[in-house]
Amino acid sequence: MTTTIDRSAAPQPSAPRPYHFPHITRATLPNGLRVLVTENRNAPLVSLRALIRSGADHDTAQSAGLASLVADLLDEGAGSRDAIRIAEDVGLLGGALGTGADWDATYISFDVLSRNSEPAMSIFGDVTARATLPEDGLERVRAERLNDILQQRNDPGAIAGKRFASLLYGNGAYGNSVGGNAESVARITADDVRTFYRQHYIPNHSSVVVSGDIDAAAAVELVTRALADWQTGPEPPRPTVAPRPIDASRIYVVDRPQAVQSEIRVGHLGVPRSCEDYFPLAVMNAVFGGVFNSRINLNLRERHGYTYGARSQFAFRRQAGPFVIAAPVRNEVTRESVNEMLSELRRIRTGDIEDRELDDVKSYLMGVFPATVQTAADLAGRLVDMELYGLPEDYFDRYRENIAAVSKDEITRVAEKYLDPDRVLVVIVGNASQIREPLGSLGFPVHELDIDGNMLAVS
Amino acid sequence: MLNLTEYRLDNGLRVVLNEDHSAPLVAINLWYHVGSKNERPGRTGFAHLFEHMLFSGSQHVGNNEHFRYVQSVGGVLNGTTFFDRTNYFETLPSNYLALGLWLESDRMGFFLPALTQEKLDIQREVVKEERRQRYDNVPYGTAFERLLRLAFNPEYSYHWATIGSMEDLEAASLDDIREFFATWYRPDNCTLTIVGDFAADEARRLVDHYFSEFEPGRLFPGFDLQRKPAGHEVRETFASPVQLPRIYRLYHLPKMGETDWVHADLLTTVLASDKASRLDRALVHEQQIAQDVATYVLPTEATGLLLLQATAREGVAIERLESAIDEEVARISVGGITDDELTRAKNRAEMEYAHQLETFDARADLIGMMATYFNDPSLVQRWLDPYRNATADDLAHVARKYLIPENRVTSLFVPEA
Repeated sequence: MTTTIDRSAAPQPSAPRPYHFPHITRATLPNGLRVLVTENRNAPLVSLRALIRSGADHDTAQSAGLASLVADLLDEGAGSRDAIRIAEDVGLLGGALGTGADWDATYISFDVLSRNSEPAMSIFGDVTARATLPEDGLERVRAERLNDILQQRNDPGAIAGKRFASLLYGNGAYGNSVGGNAESVARITADDVRTFYRQHYIPNHSSVVVSGDIDAAAAVELVTRALADWQTGPEPPRPTVAPRPIDASRIYVVDRPQAVQSEIRVGHLGVPRSCEDYFPLAVMNAVFGGVFNSRINLNLRERHGYTYGARSQFAFRRQAGPFVIAAPVRNEVTRESVNEMLSELRRIRTGDIEDRELDDVKSYLMGVFPATVQTAADLAGRLVDMELYGLPEDYFDRYRENIAAVSKDEITRVAEKYLDPDRVLVVIVGNASQIREPLGSLGFPVHELDIDGNMLAVS
Repeated sequence: MLNLTEYRLDNGLRVVLNEDHSAPLVAINLWYHVGSKNERPGRTGFAHLFEHMLFSGSQHVGNNEHFRYVQSVGGVLNGTTFFDRTNYFETLPSNYLALGLWLESDRMGFFLPALTQEKLDIQREVVKEERRQRYDNVPYGTAFERLLRLAFNPEYSYHWATIGSMEDLEAASLDDIREFFATWYRPDNCTLTIVGDFAADEARRLVDHYFSEFEPGRLFPGFDLQRKPAGHEVRETFASPVQLPRIYRLYHLPKMGETDWVHADLLTTVLASDKASRLDRALVHEQQIAQDVATYVLPTEATGLLLLQATAREGVAIERLESAIDEEVARISVGGITDDELTRAKNRAEMEYAHQLETFDARADLIGMMATYFNDPSLVQRWLDPYRNATADDLAHVARKYLIPENRVTSLFVPEA
């Protein structure tokens, strides 16, 4: 077909419209609770968030799963309401309540029709500071968790993630699962739960964020009414993660005889969120594997058709999280896929980066920001991050210039400094009889583990 | 109320504009009225494979350049395929509206010259990996596919899932791709919705500039397949590598948007949505025989479907779980629901709808759906009306009329021996 207009080149953009992160109103209650509010009138909705600065990093090998179990118990009873009454009242307000923990923190979220902000805040305050932690609730939540853990034994992605974390961090923080294991979850007592709640759910260790269709001063007033009575306590010390050094690359295979794909994880220790090289690392990872058009995905998916999607990630946590490349690939190309990942790791350390490649990811990271904060819930999430990682008050205002400042030399410098292709953990959950032999030819020791991590064989 | 303008180009392209300057973004969204429903046996999975091909470049846009053009200016993009439609969408900084329209028009008008066997072979492999990742290599992954096979006669094209079969993906040829494109990817089979920060005059000018030279298709193959209900429950038990047994059910409903479908949507909230909902409360919270339970209606155009699933706790027989579900459904059929339950269901619908309208991209997609399925984009303003008007008796009526054995299929996933 011929065209009557000039389609030969992409049209030029018009003048950009400025974007400004919304104003943040801050307050600190006398009990030390920090409150952050942003107004956003795009929808008749309000998002409430509580951040408790303790998560599964406080679990020990013995108590793995405790922090997340406490989080699950918060809406089993709070204030004068039992679990069913909480759910009924949340439903009557047109709300959705959620609770959970990750490695760094515990989160409570309540999204609600804005006309009901006031009664919603009252329930939110109860769930956060006046949870009753009933014993029958604990037994119910525990049984649910044990069944979850059981189900994960057939989930290749979950198995790969668990084995990788455990090989990298051992039994301590970041090495178990946030949800714990069958033995530890069975062991947790009502006393453990109450002690954790008393020690960690304290206002001087927490923040509350309100975002959406609500007046900022009114929001602060509502938070004050709901949480001014919350009792302070001593700041809990943060445990230190103890990663195991990797002396040489090794491959670990977990056999899943029925598998038609290999779940691959390749990586090593990363850096904490507070790393001074955060911005160059974020840009480097976007070039390498952080977005659709990154090298890893273009290579494994678009050039070779090995996978539906390949990604890499630095898990930026309070302490050094892992750096991981992840992809599910069909059995026949498992060895080739690992090989391509390792050669991409080597290549990005050589300074072989095109200007266009770098410009593309930088303008992506800078330009995409407004699209990621369209909703009240999105904005609330950004403020929670800001509080959790102690980001400066002008962080989102200066985000673009920080990305823009990253140079090609810095990409190479951080790739050399933080990526080590010669010392990686390779974890593969797949059909061992089909992949064992080809993997052996990569030249690294191949260990076989059962799904609980027990060593079966070395070749 | 949203500020909506709807018009058509001479070639039949339907355009819907919704100006909103609350963020410096623009969402561009195209719904093509073709999906796996329009496939035929032996060529299943084709509409979705085709969707992948449409990201592999066109005459003026190189292979992988579509993604690059959008991402390199800070845009996000994707496409999805379902029974009845295929959608393509990007959200861009608003000063790049022309870029998005240039890209979408190039693949609507100039896709075929850039098509190669090599691109097809790569995307075929990618889609096969997608199938392995989402269906074949995960617990319960094939459940929906199995239900569809039980629920529909083989000629009726809801009989197969959108992902298609490995054999059919293998068989797809370049000629198939060309024919599919020529048949369905016409301006008069498409709704283009633009939401966000633009001036309506300028958007009209650009749409006209980029899309008006394309020829309409005019005649599209009609969908006249007949569903042949079994008239009794169809059941199967399927042993697979799972730890816990799970029950899956599909109930037939009138098609999306019919009053009974809306009432069924509300009823699913009463049945399973939070700890106070009937099935959650009875099976998960009180009896503790279920690990989880979920139920929802599907956004389908040709005929309606309600999916219900529940996972048995370790050591609980699937038969016990199934009869407990039936008891709870019967309690509603016989005893009805309370006014509080109705209010909660309506408030949840209102909240979820407000979330959908909140972002430009989800709002544009909703408008595209209203235009494509109901021939009326302005329905987006009134969608909640029948929800607001529903009564407690309406919901009990739906339970009595549709949630009955003769109207359902059941697939029991059990652990291998």
